[in-house]
Amino acid sequence: MSSTPEEERKTINLSTGDSGFLSEIKALGAGDILECIQCAKCAATCPLVLAGFNFFNKRIIQAIFLGTRETLLDDPSIWACQSCNRCTEVCPRKLKPFEVIMAMRRVAVREFALPTMAIEGIKSLYDVGHAVYLSQAGRSRASVGLPERPYSTASNPRALKELQALLGKTALADLGIIPMGGPDVSGTCEVGQ
Amino acid sequence: MKVGFFVGCNTAFNRPDLERAVRYVYPALGVELDELDGQSCCPTWGTMPSIDLAGWCAVGARNYTIAEEKGLDMVTVCGSCYGSLAETAHKIKSDPGVKSRVNELLGVIGKEFKGTSRIRHAVYHLYQEVGLDTLKEFIKYQLGGLKIAVQPGCHSLWPSDAYVDGEEDTFHPTVLRELCEALGASAPYYSRLLDCCGMGGMRSTDMDKSFKLVETKLSSMKEEVEPDLIVTGCSSCLIQLDTAQDFLKKDGKINYEIPAIHYVQLLAICMGADPQQVTGLARTKVDRVVNRILEG
Repeated sequence: MSSTPEEERKTINLSTGDSGFLSEIKALGAGDILECIQCAKCAATCPLVLAGFNFFNKRIIQAIFLGTRETLLDDPSIWACQSCNRCTEVCPRKLKPFEVIMAMRRVAVREFALPTMAIEGIKSLYDVGHAVYLSQAGRSRASVGLPERPYSTASNPRALKELQALLGKTALADLGIIPMGGPDVSGTCEVGQ
Repeated sequence: MKVGFFVGCNTAFNRPDLERAVRYVYPALGVELDELDGQSCCPTWGTMPSIDLAGWCAVGARNYTIAEEKGLDMVTVCGSCYGSLAETAHKIKSDPGVKSRVNELLGVIGKEFKGTSRIRHAVYHLYQEVGLDTLKEFIKYQLGGLKIAVQPGCHSLWPSDAYVDGEEDTFHPTVLRELCEALGASAPYYSRLLDCCGMGGMRSTDMDKSFKLVETKLSSMKEEVEPDLIVTGCSSCLIQLDTAQDFLKKDGKINYEIPAIHYVQLLAICMGADPQQVTGLARTKVDRVVNRILEG
């Protein structure tokens, strides 16, 4: 029986599964993933399910077990995770499904499969010390009787240098996602993560 | 009492009126605020946590060291900051591998995570350390039966083992409702009370799906509570509930608007703060309900 292109796209060829995928996920923060028995208690509490995303905790774990790395890299669901930890709270096997999603994001980042908004947030974190930074916020701060900048890295160059030195020793520096030269506080970054 | 004020990003840059409310409420209650000068982003989920587990914890731990050097706990009005910093400390304390890598990284800037300071969520800190009875003594304006729909926010509840404060049953939270009731409001249960607001990574990834969640939540509030006001415990929930209603109205999805503020803003108003300074940046129309409060 011939299948339509739509159906072909949904076919998963298990013989091409990536066997190194699971060990990579385990090394990047999801050491207990094999505890999963696919009971779906996590899915029953997940906002991604409620909102209608293709992948969510249970299905992400299933895809990792099947070794279908590309399926997850091509889908935005992992980046829509709210990090709410309902799944971690209810998991009867205590494997912390949320940590699996974060490990999957770390895999994706290593393949440069991350959203532009995330890159902007990371750049802003490095440049100003705040992932969310609005350069014009000084005016609204002044309108409610506050100094233009908070007492943070945004107004303390020594503290910002310290943060940048720290970030320079993390995996962020190895990945080359953002330029990590000098501070650039001119930009604006509005991300909700 | 003295605490460090962990201001974070969204409060400082998106809703400084909420920052102003914190700076009004705490000193007025006799709690001194330390600036934790040099603090950075916590940071949350879309940035360092998605790249490097120990690197994330090291950035969080650097914030802790500022509080540790002063011997203070930190207080935040942001659920995301609370969640990230609580999980940071929890991971460092429960995983020796993470701890040694974090302190190795902190060594680069001459610091060390000792684990002597804690991150506290303002809502729970007020409830535990100030208490409902004391709060009542500081109130100039009672809420006189005002009807409130509460939004506690995911990050004050789960994962419960990472948090200093919490609820007896995290799937039936009562603290924010009790705090609203202490001001003279009614804060009834509604069936979507626990639902996620849709802010965060979801709003950055797919705005339609994010708004679908907040619409479901708003409909439940409207149909079951008919509230005068939405009160959140989290600055991210505040931004979502305050900004999404205008989009939903323009799309013809809702035909009402419910004013939304953070609990600390509500408390500031009840304690006599200038409403313009502590709620002046709200997009929803809070004026009418604020005037009703001030007129008794």
